[in-house]
Amino acid sequence: MIALAAIGAVTLGTLGLGAWGVRFARTTSDLLVASRSVTPWWNAAAISGEYLSAASFLGIAGLELKLGASALWQSLGFTAGYLALLLFVAAPLRRFGSYTIPDFVEARLRSPAMRPLASAIVLLIGGFYLLPQLKGAGIALQAVTGAPYWTGVVIVAVIVAVNVAIGGMRGITYVQAFQFWIKVFAISVPACVLLIHFGGLPDRVALFGRRLPTAAARGVVVRLPGAERVQFPAAARITVGGRVLSVSAGARRTLPGGVDIRIPAATVMPVAEGTPAQTGAQWSRPVSGSGASSPLLVYSLLVATFLGTMGLPHILVRFYTNPDGHAARRTTVRVLTLLGLFYAFPAVYGALGRALTPQLYLTGQTDTVVLTLPRAAWPGTVGTLLGAVTAAGAFAAFLSTSSGLLVSLAGTISHDVWPRLRREPPTSVAVRRRRFRAAALTAMIIPALLALLAGSIDISILVGWAFAIAASTFCPMFLLGVWWTRLSARGAGAGMIVGALIATAAILTGLALGDPETTVAGALLAQPALVSVPAAFAVMIAVSLRGSATTAASAEMLALHAPEGLGLRLADDDLDAARDRGDSVITGR
Amino acid sequence: MSVGDGDRDRLPAPLRSPRQELADSTAHGEVYLRRLRHAQLQLSLLALVAFGAVFGVLPLALYLLPALGRLHLLGVPLTIWIMLVPLSPLFIAIGWLYARRADALDAAFRDLVEK
Repeated sequence: MIALAAIGAVTLGTLGLGAWGVRFARTTSDLLVASRSVTPWWNAAAISGEYLSAASFLGIAGLELKLGASALWQSLGFTAGYLALLLFVAAPLRRFGSYTIPDFVEARLRSPAMRPLASAIVLLIGGFYLLPQLKGAGIALQAVTGAPYWTGVVIVAVIVAVNVAIGGMRGITYVQAFQFWIKVFAISVPACVLLIHFGGLPDRVALFGRRLPTAAARGVVVRLPGAERVQFPAAARITVGGRVLSVSAGARRTLPGGVDIRIPAATVMPVAEGTPAQTGAQWSRPVSGSGASSPLLVYSLLVATFLGTMGLPHILVRFYTNPDGHAARRTTVRVLTLLGLFYAFPAVYGALGRALTPQLYLTGQTDTVVLTLPRAAWPGTVGTLLGAVTAAGAFAAFLSTSSGLLVSLAGTISHDVWPRLRREPPTSVAVRRRRFRAAALTAMIIPALLALLAGSIDISILVGWAFAIAASTFCPMFLLGVWWTRLSARGAGAGMIVGALIATAAILTGLALGDPETTVAGALLAQPALVSVPAAFAVMIAVSLRGSATTAASAEMLALHAPEGLGLRLADDDLDAARDRGDSVITGR
Repeated sequence: MSVGDGDRDRLPAPLRSPRQELADSTAHGEVYLRRLRHAQLQLSLLALVAFGAVFGVLPLALYLLPALGRLHLLGVPLTIWIMLVPLSPLFIAIGWLYARRADALDAAFRDLVEK
C-alpha cells in the first residue's frame, strides 16, 4: 500500500513537473534557448536521468542474481558508452546542431533519400528499447501489488502515451535532472540501509564459496503464479500444497501454481528452468569458460554497449542543450561521474538477493529483486518503506526513459513516415501537432503488445539487443560521418542496412533456437555486436571507396569541427530560426 | 599533435588571414581545418588506446587468471572489487584529461585563426 502510494506520488510528481515546465517552453527555440543557460552539471544529470532505464534500475541486479558477477560488465559498458561518445562525437555533433539522427544523416550526407532508412532504424531501436521498459513496469506492479503482469504494462503504456501526446515531459532539462536524483536516492539509500542492517554481506559461502543458495533459517514458503518446470540441483524434501515431495539430485519436476510450496531450512533451492544452479565460486566469477560469462559473450556485450550508446535515438537531442562543443565535452565527463555513482549500487541488490531471497531462483522472477528484496529481507515497517522507495525509483526509470523514447518515435513517425506514405506537401503547425499526438498514441501499441509476449525474457537481454542494433547501424555512421570526409550516402546506407540485418537476424534466430549461449555460434546469436559492428564498418568503407571520390564534405567538416566564436559558423539562434520556420521533429510541432 | 607554430611555418606564407581562407572555404582554409581534425582524431584514438589497454584487456585477464577470484579482501573476492571500484574513476580520469587536451587544441586553432 505504501509502495503504491510512493509510485503514485512519483508518477504524479513527474507529470505535474512536466506540465508545469512545458508552460514556460512555448516554442522549440524557447525550450532550447532556455536550456542553453543550464550548467553542465544540470545537463549531465538530465542526460543521466533520461538514460537510466529499467535495465539499469532492475535489470542489472536481476541478471547478477540469475547469472552472477558477469552481469556487472553490463553496467560498466553502459558507463563506458559515454566515454566513446565523449571521445568521438559529443563536441562535433553539438556543433553540427542536428536535433535527431535522421536530421544528421540527411544534412551530413546531403541526401534526403537517406531519411526514410534512418527513420526506420530509429523505430527499430526505439521499439526494442521501449519493450523492456514496459516489461519492467509489468513485473514491478506485479511484485508490489500482486496484480497480473499485463496491468503494469498497459497502465504505464497508457500513462506515457497520453502524457507525451498532450505535451508533458518534452525533455525539460530540470524534470529529467530531478528524475536522476530520485533514481540515485531510490537505489542507494535502501542498499546502504540493508547493508548496515545485516552488517555487510550475509551468507558469503553461497555468494563466493562452495555452496549453492539455500533456504533461510526459518524455511521459505513460495507461491508460484502458474505451473512451472523446476530443477533440483540437490536432493530435497519439500511440501507442495500440504503433500510431501521427495526428489533426488538433478531431478526435474513441474510444480503447480497457486499453492503454498514449503522449502525447509538449509535445503538447496530448486531453480526455475533456464536459471543456472551455481555455487558461490562459479557465481562470483566475472568471466569463465562457458555460458553467459564466456569471454566471447562478454566482449560482444562490451562492444554493443560501448558503441551503442551514441546511437540511441533519445540521447542526441539532449546534447543540443549544451551551449557549445566545449560545454558538450564538459557535460559528458560529468555524465561519466554521475553514472559511476549510480552503478555502484545495483550490484548490492544482486548479492543480497542471492543470500536473502533465494526463492527468486525458484520463481524465476530474478528481475524483481530490487523491488522484493527489502520487504522479504527485513519484514516490518522499515522493509516495507524501503521497498516503497525502490518501487518509486523503478517507476521514475520507466517513465523518464519511455517518455524520451516515445517522443523520438512519435516525432519520427509524424515527421518522416506519415508524410512520405501520404506523399503530401508540408502542412500547417496545427496539423503537425495533431499528427504527433496520433503518432504518440499509436507508436506505443506494438511495443506494448510485444511486451505482453516477452514476459519470460530478462530485461537486460532485451536492452542488450537495442544496444547491439544501435552499435551496428548509427555508431559506424556517426564515427565515419564525423571523421571521414569520403563517407558517401550510398556507403552509409548499405552499411546501416547490413548492420541492422545481421544484428536483427541473429537475435531472432537465437530467440527461435532458445537458450543457445553454450556454443560460440550461440553466443554470437545472443549478442551479435562482435560480428555485426565490424561488418557494418567494412561495408560502409568499401561502398564509399568504390564510389566517385568527389565528396570532400568541406562545409560539413567546418560545421562539425570548427570551434565556436570564430564567426565561421551559423549562430545557434539562426539555426533555431531556420528550424522553426521549417519544422521541428523533436517537439512535434 | 597540436596546431602550433611549427606547423604553421610549413604552410605557404598566407597573404590572407586564416579566417578569410576558412570563411571562403578555400584550399588553404581546408588545410587548416584538416590539421585540426587530424589532431583531434589522434587525441581521441590515443585516449581510446589508453582505455582499451586497461578495460579492453580486463575480461581476458580475469579469464586467464582465475586465481584472482580466490584472493579475498574484506571477505569479497578481488575480482569483484576490480569490477566495482577502480574502473569508473578510470573512465572519468581518461574523459577529463581528454576533454582538457581537446579544448586546448580548439583554443590553439582559435588563436591561429584570430591572429
